[in-house]
Amino acid sequence: MKVRLRIFLLIMGMTLVTYIPRALPAIMVGRLKFSPKAEKFLRLIPYTAMSALIFPGVFTMDPDRVYVGILGAAAAAALAWRKMPVMVCVLGAIAVDLIVYLVV
Amino acid sequence: MISKEFLYGIKRAVPVILGFVPVGIAYAIMARQAGLTAFETVFMSLSVFAGASQIMAVGMYAQGAGLIAMIIATFIINLRHVIMSACVFNKIKGEKTGLRLLAAFGVTDEGFAIFTTEKEEKCSAMYMVGILLVTYLSWFAGSVIGAVASSLLPKIIAASLGIAMYAMFIGLLVPGIRRNLRLGFLVAMTACANSAFGMFLEPSWSLVVSTLLGAAAGVFFVDLKEQGDESEA
Repeated sequence: MKVRLRIFLLIMGMTLVTYIPRALPAIMVGRLKFSPKAEKFLRLIPYTAMSALIFPGVFTMDPDRVYVGILGAAAAAALAWRKMPVMVCVLGAIAVDLIVYLVV
Repeated sequence: MISKEFLYGIKRAVPVILGFVPVGIAYAIMARQAGLTAFETVFMSLSVFAGASQIMAVGMYAQGAGLIAMIIATFIINLRHVIMSACVFNKIKGEKTGLRLLAAFGVTDEGFAIFTTEKEEKCSAMYMVGILLVTYLSWFAGSVIGAVASSLLPKIIAASLGIAMYAMFIGLLVPGIRRNLRLGFLVAMTACANSAFGMFLEPSWSLVVSTLLGAAAGVFFVDLKEQGDESEA
């Protein structure tokens, strides 16, 4: 049950920066107002963050075989485009890559 | 002590178990592959309780990112919860500060969605605590299952699981951009920016810079009015 110091610090830091945005409005009842621009900025962050998390990392998912990441991502995108739930996209992408690894 | 509102919160949150458990399993498997121990993996879930942030953090950890970069990236991803939490606490008037702070821990994307789709008169701190109990336990259970199961996985399946994080983010992104061309353009722009910055910045800092610049640029040309709050990151 040992936790390495570096991991412990990571978890504590993440806990703080996750809880503070959630807790701030609970304390500052009604005193927290956002301008429309600030609210839009905050609402756009998940989209830009996810985009940056996907690209270009997905191309180097398997550094020796670029196509593994591309094919898996394409499968996920196709399923998401057909309005499948996120879990189906994930399982579909895993299945496609599993087949790729079995075939190649 | 066990109020009607608390039980109602539990009842409303039950469908979310189906979402939280599998994602918890996926997170834990990624964490174990990144090099965290089973205990560290579960400890992170209990303490942080934020799916996308945890998945992102273990992904960055696997790539050797620095501590500060991982924490800043987590902060940026979680900033949006300020808005959600402000909505939640606009509906909860009164109540003790301690109870409000407990309820605040339950403001995940899913918890927010369940809470705010409820009629105003049913919204209370205890209702949120009921939602918190179910979502928290599901997240914990998924993390434990994944942390234990990951060592039993054959190598080829473990390799294929590398796509899970990307597939999850794609699954969350695509519904938002398929009806919003400008948002799609912003997403593409951010992807290019991140690839470009990555040539001279560390990947984790490149991620932080392109996320902030992208969102700032988007303020001027993206229209989010018709966008429901469907980001589940």
